[in-house]
Formats: sequence, C-alpha cells, structure tokens
Amino acid sequence: MSEEPHPVAAGRPASRRKPAGRVLANAALALAFLFVVVPIAWLAQMSLRPNEDILGYRLLFTPTLDHYSSLLEGKFLRYFLNSVLSSSLSTAIALLVGTPAAYVLSRWRFRGQRHVALWVLSTRMAPQIAFTIPFFLFFRRVGLNDTVWGLALIYLTFNLALVIWMMRSFFDAVPRALEEAAWLDGCGIWTAFLRITLPLAAPGLAATAVLCFIFSWNDFFYALILTRTNAMTAPVAIVNFMQYEGWEWGKMAAGGTLVMLPVLVFTVLVRRWLVSGLMAGGIKD
Amino acid sequence: MPAAGAEAGIGYGIDRRHRVALLAGLLPALLLLVALTLAPALYLFVISLTPATPTNPASLTDFSAPAQNYVSALGDERFIESLWVQIKLSVSTVAVQTALGLGVALLLNRGGRLVGALRTIFLIPTVLPPIVAALIWKVLYTPDVSPLHRALASVGVPVASLITNPDTALWAIAVADTWQWFPFTMLIILAALQVVPREPLEAATVDGASPLQLFLYVVLPFIRPAIVIAALFRLIDSVKAFPLIYVLTSGGPGTATQVTNYYAFTQAFNYAYWGYASAISVMLTAAVFVLSALIGSRGAKAAGHE
Repeated sequence: MSEEPHPVAAGRPASRRKPAGRVLANAALALAFLFVVVPIAWLAQMSLRPNEDILGYRLLFTPTLDHYSSLLEGKFLRYFLNSVLSSSLSTAIALLVGTPAAYVLSRWRFRGQRHVALWVLSTRMAPQIAFTIPFFLFFRRVGLNDTVWGLALIYLTFNLALVIWMMRSFFDAVPRALEEAAWLDGCGIWTAFLRITLPLAAPGLAATAVLCFIFSWNDFFYALILTRTNAMTAPVAIVNFMQYEGWEWGKMAAGGTLVMLPVLVFTVLVRRWLVSGLMAGGIKD
Repeated sequence: MPAAGAEAGIGYGIDRRHRVALLAGLLPALLLLVALTLAPALYLFVISLTPATPTNPASLTDFSAPAQNYVSALGDERFIESLWVQIKLSVSTVAVQTALGLGVALLLNRGGRLVGALRTIFLIPTVLPPIVAALIWKVLYTPDVSPLHRALASVGVPVASLITNPDTALWAIAVADTWQWFPFTMLIILAALQVVPREPLEAATVDGASPLQLFLYVVLPFIRPAIVIAALFRLIDSVKAFPLIYVLTSGGPGTATQVTNYYAFTQAFNYAYWGYASAISVMLTAAVFVLSALIGSRGAKAAGHE
C-alpha cells in the first residue's frame, strides 16, 4: 500500500504562485466542482419535487416523499433487497474463500506469484460479455438463471480476485513474528491465523468487504441478462421504469437516489483504499 | 530477513507440515477461480466454434465449420463499423479524460481541508452506480426535461436533442463518459503526485525555475508512469462501456453509437446468435488481454521506479 504520510510535495510551488494564478486555479476548481456536482444534485432534487412541478427550477419548493412512497408501494423494495442479498452473499463467499488464500500468498512466496497478479488483472479487465454468454448457458441448464445465488456466483468472478489481491497486501503489512511465536508454542497455522493475524488485519478486511459490496452493487450488465422478475436488482428495475412504465421521471429519480446513497456513504469510508481496489492487479502495492 | 527461505521457494519458518495446511487454505480459492474464470473462457471459445442458437439444441455441439463465425465477422460490415465507433469513442474519451484528470489532479495537489473534501467529492461520478450516471445524463439529454436544454431555449437558442442526432450522439456519450470517468485518472495521478519527492522541486525552485518548468522537467517525469497506466486502464474499460449506451441511445440512432461490445450483446441476447456473439467476444477479450499484458509490464516498471 502506498499510503506513507507524504507531504504534499508539488503543492508548495502552487501556494507560492502569484495571486492572479491562484484566482485562476480556484475558478477552474469551482467550475470542475459544478460540473461534477450539479448533475447529481439535479437528480436528487427531482426525486423530491411534486409531480406537477417535476421540471421546475425554483430553488424553493415544498419537498415531497411521494415518489419514494410510490416506489415502496410497488415492487421496488423487493428489487432493492435482491441487490442487497446478491451483493452481500457474493461478498461473504469471496471473503470466506479468498482471505485464507490471500494469507497463503502473503506468507508463502513461490515462483508463480507474478502470474497470480496477472490472473487477477485479467479477471478485472475481461469484458463482461465474455463471462455472460457461458454463464447464461450454464445457468439455463442448472436452473440458476434469475436467482440471487446465480448473481452472487457471477459477482465472484471479480470479487474473489479482488479479495485475494487486497488482503494479500494487508497481510503483508502484519509482522510475522507474532504468529511464528504461536507456531512454536504448538499452535496450528490456521489457529494462529484466526487468533492473531486476522484480527490485526481487520480494518483491511472491512475495507475489502466494502469494495466488494460496492462493485457488486454497481453491477448492471450481469443482472440485466441473468435475471428477469424473481431476482431482478434495483439498477435493472430503474431502467424498467423507463421502458415499460413510460416516463416517470420522479420515480426514476427517487430510485436512482436510493441506489446511489449506500455507495456515497461507503465511498467516504474506503476512500484511502480506492486506488488499489480500482486498479487491482495493475500496480504493485 | 526471509531471504534464505524465499530462495528455496518457501517462506521463512514454514516446514512441510505447514505446507500441507497452507495448500488447504489456497486450494479452494484457486479451484473456484479456475471454475469461475478459466472454465467459462474456454467454454466461450468452444461456443464460438459452433453456430449455437437456442432454438436448435444440436447447434451447441455442431463443430462442422469451426471457423465460420470468425470468417463471417471479417465480412460483416456492421461488425467492422462497430470497431470504428469503438475506436472513435475510446480514443476521444481516453485523451480527454487523461488531460482533464491530470489538470484537476494538479489543481487538487495542495493542502487544506477544503481541498481534501473536494478530492472526495470529485470521486463520486466514478464510484456511482453506472446506471445512475446513465440516468443523470438521460435527464440532461432529454430536451423536455433537461435544465440545460430548457435554459438554452428560454434565452432563444433552442438545441435539438443531441442523442437522437447521428452526428452528435457519439460525442454526447463521450461527454457523459468523461464526466463519469475523469475522476478515475484524477485519482491515480493524484496518488502519484503526492509521492513526488521534495528535494528536486526545492532545488529547481531555488534555481529560479518557473512553475511550468517545474511541472515539465521535475514533476512530469515522476508521474508519467501513473499517467500511462491510468490511460491504459481507461482504454481497456472504454471497451466495456455499456450502461451509458444502453440507456442513452441503445446503440442508435441507426448504428451511430453501436460499439463492438454492444453489438456482441445484441447479437447474443436480441437475436440469439450465441455462436457468433461468442466469436466477437473472444476477439474482444483477446484484444483486452494484449493491452493488459502491456499494463502488467508497465505496472512492474512503474513500481520499480518508485
């Protein structure tokens, strides 16, 4: 992990800049800020506007939760739960299977290590359609299409590699002396892992879990193809508001806001690890 | 410290008994990874050698003309055109996103609490569920609903829908894609900027270098590997652009925004040409792997550089 508390090196010349340059830089930042934030804020405010004023401009309006309550009256809650279930399930399995493997890869250096990194990178890079066709055919045969389990399984294609990649670097940071002392005391390797190493890597485990959850939660492509009505997730449901129920902008905006809220909260929590999470396999930690 | 053990290929303090236990921890994950990634990849390749389609179950195992799908693709005008659309979209978005990401990263590379908050806020589009990003731009690009379109109309310059015009649709998608992904390059470049060593900067400042000279001759050489990696990541991910195209244009108008990935998707799931779609996916995956290998070697170099 490259998170040494480095001073903001190149920031020094910037602060010595002449006032004119400073003003220009701040203006550019303000513009970029508007470019990023206004579109998101627009969606959020639409979700609170009453239907008769859905396209209104006035900043002062009486917010209403009508769109949210109409979402809950429909089946949206169920689709939302499907998203929660498939993402949590996939995250849990990935952690359960991937964490021990990450530990082994951290402690037991062998010659093929570079290939593991490349493999992880490949699963991150492969176009989803390449996985979707085989999984679709396989699921059709075994009856996993349109199930939460099926989704959780295909999310493992990226989650498992992510867990192995992230946790390995977290375990690298835990000193070996403690667990080796435990081994000498006759403690089994996995007992020592559970009692000593894993608790020390707990913050890393939490960060990894959150990243897995976000990446599964954000999926649209797999759920679009591998689910219909039973296991449909919230992102797919929102698009269906558009296509089958006409243009219900308020409802769409409310659904979109609900889907992005958990991600916003989680992002603040895992900001520090986002670089390694987004680029898993691509850079050496 | 563990050098001796590493030389033998075995970590320090790990004996035979431990090795069995360690293998037991590693194997489930390896087997699952093989089952989930390698097996489907092979299966995809096998399907690509058949004329597979759901109406005819025998077609899944019909290997009488294994190269047919690949031959067809080379003569398929829509496939070739989808490659052009892909190249236009990829080249333009990667260039703009890298430039914009670099610019914003430079602006954000200073201390202060406000700047710290901005760094997190600027990340939002990239971590947002892609479908929400698509929804946001659907609102902005639909003339009756969009605040931009209506504001322009109210000052007397009405603009027709950009996403239903074949000349502008692809660029409209490129703008939305840039909004969504420039924070990615920004994040990677910012991380590199923060570990640029101080000494050469201070030395150059003492020597009277201008800010531009500082950037070009001191900062840029340090962050160049990060810029290249960020651009390569975006290049590969741009091949996978889907939710934006699906929601904003569905590949249209006509085939104006039908990138290769989208074309494979329609062939597989709208027309049920599984064999043909698999062949396109195999080619797409192969292209992505070549680029990934490039990142693999670049990444190692970038790491060695630090």
